[in-house]
Amino acid sequence: MALIAIGLLLARGRGPGTGGHVTLQGGGSSFLYPQIQAWIDQYSRENPNVTINYSPTGSGTGQSQFLQGVLDFAGSDPPLKRGVWEKYRGDVLQVPVIVGAVVVVYNVPGVGPGLNLSGEVLAKIYKGEIEYWDDPAITSLNPHTSLPHEKIMAVHRSDSSGTTNVFTLFLHKAAPDTWPEDLVGKTIDWPVDSTGRGVGGKGNQGVAEQVRQTPYSIGYVELAYATQTGLPVARIENSAGRFIEPSNETIMAAAEGAISGMSIGPRDDWNPVFEAIVYAPGEDSYPIATLSFLILRASYNDQAKAEALAGFLEWLAHEGYKHVVKGYVPLPESARHVLTDAANILRGAQP
Amino acid sequence: MTGPVPPEDKRFYYSLLPFIGVSMIVVLVLAAVLAYYSLPAVKKYGATAILGREWSPSEDNPSKARYGLLIPILGTLATATIAVLIGLPIALSMVVLTEEILPYRYRGLLGSIVDVMAAIPTIVYGLWGLTVLAPLLRETLYKWLHARLGWTPLFACNPFTGTTYMTAGILLGIIVVPYIYAIVREAYRSVPKKYRHGIYALGATRLEAVRLIMGMIRSAIAAAVLLAFGRAAGETVAVALVIGSAFNAPRCLLAPGYTIASLIANQFGESFYYPYMANALYLGGLLLLLIGIAANIAGLRLLGRARSLEG
Repeated sequence: MALIAIGLLLARGRGPGTGGHVTLQGGGSSFLYPQIQAWIDQYSRENPNVTINYSPTGSGTGQSQFLQGVLDFAGSDPPLKRGVWEKYRGDVLQVPVIVGAVVVVYNVPGVGPGLNLSGEVLAKIYKGEIEYWDDPAITSLNPHTSLPHEKIMAVHRSDSSGTTNVFTLFLHKAAPDTWPEDLVGKTIDWPVDSTGRGVGGKGNQGVAEQVRQTPYSIGYVELAYATQTGLPVARIENSAGRFIEPSNETIMAAAEGAISGMSIGPRDDWNPVFEAIVYAPGEDSYPIATLSFLILRASYNDQAKAEALAGFLEWLAHEGYKHVVKGYVPLPESARHVLTDAANILRGAQP
Repeated sequence: MTGPVPPEDKRFYYSLLPFIGVSMIVVLVLAAVLAYYSLPAVKKYGATAILGREWSPSEDNPSKARYGLLIPILGTLATATIAVLIGLPIALSMVVLTEEILPYRYRGLLGSIVDVMAAIPTIVYGLWGLTVLAPLLRETLYKWLHARLGWTPLFACNPFTGTTYMTAGILLGIIVVPYIYAIVREAYRSVPKKYRHGIYALGATRLEAVRLIMGMIRSAIAAAVLLAFGRAAGETVAVALVIGSAFNAPRCLLAPGYTIASLIANQFGESFYYPYMANALYLGGLLLLLIGIAANIAGLRLLGRARSLEG
């Protein structure tokens, strides 16, 4: 009994500026996990009074647990859907923290990296309309590569996935006549499946493994996985008609192309940016890029938590991007003010 | 059991009732819960929830979404059938080997190896199937089947990948071997010695003796087949790894597909973000339970008949 009383006193006694210990519970996006864990390690080394936990349960679970109040913050690949954002308008903050990309990998014996592919060609492959690697639609983009007369096996995700969402959104934006809006989503009915030339893999790992094992196959994975598996990566035609290899510069260029010119803050709906970064404008933009977000509350019952999160966001904006894990792309400088804006809101300043 | 039951025995029997009740209630509650959660999908999509061939989820527009389970249902039946066709000859050969042919001191060893097969977690079979079996089968058996038997619809498609209905079926066949083996071996051993001596006394060869004894225990073999079928239909994790997860009907066995259990394993995790998808998956679970119960009841009845014939 006495122990409980002391515990209560201690709990009441902690607050901003008292040097008490703050624990933040976060979770969600598994894509974000390796990067956020690296940030958390670095940050807690510099700020031993803050403990941040992050469990990679998936963006959807993270969002719903955050909205139910189980988590203090969520990591999510897509921003809140417009309807959800409207419901919680003003109470939630969303900040982009990292740029990602979906890359197209393939396994065609005798063909090295850097095959040129367009949204139109990819859409037709995943519809089952382009059957062979030496289809004129592909050879005309790659006049100097000799492609075999072999059937294409199209690999996709079998589980619900933000990666699929970004990839199908790209197909729709780049080839709207071939790839209708119905076929955009986290889980879709792949037209190529019914031809027997479509195959699913669970997770990025599953897709990469299928492609690695299946000669003459093609698939899409997050950038980090492509570098891990060493599969050849395709160059994709962007909105300016250029074939772009995924790299830090080209992926960051896509983020700049999408965010620059939009005056947008943490209280706003981020869906327009999330859509604009796919097939983004700009000569050098890699066309299948994506943003990952942290979702927070605008105010917390425990001001110590708000203070700790504000500190973390500011640290991210100024220091965090010096600690970027391989396979991830930092937020372009022009967008980092969103993090400090959110920190100011958490500290009670009106934007 | 003849004569009046002594009162202490009666009390003993009654004391067992709650435990028997618990297991019955668990099955009933399970079926009721599955039915309860499947109901919205049936109400919304009617017969197409079972007979539809399309699976195209929609996060915000349930009227545009399609959740048809026909392809996974057919896939479940196809892979379980292949499993039995593969597992039965292997298990029967093992029985003959351990009961008739091998020298006595090796019989126990081989028997225990088969028994151990049942103790290996199916995820281990699945990983082995994905990394070793699937590529191997594709390069050897499937290419051969396609070249020789490509004129039949079952092998008409070019094997582009190793993760196919056939691979799932073959892997399941290996997984069910110890189940078939255990039942058939038990039945084989229960054939009285005097019959065996009689058969040999009539001048039968070993082959003829084996065929006669197998004929005597054929209902036990049929029971083993049905139980193995139920086991194969319900297997989840090993199949999810090797079936290829594509919505493609099992017309050709050398192409990727789906089973009910592997569909649930792949899509249940995030299904709550799609209206009715979880309900459709519960319906799949209910169908799986019904397939399993039907196969098991039929199998156990046959087994009961086989045992009473022997007795």
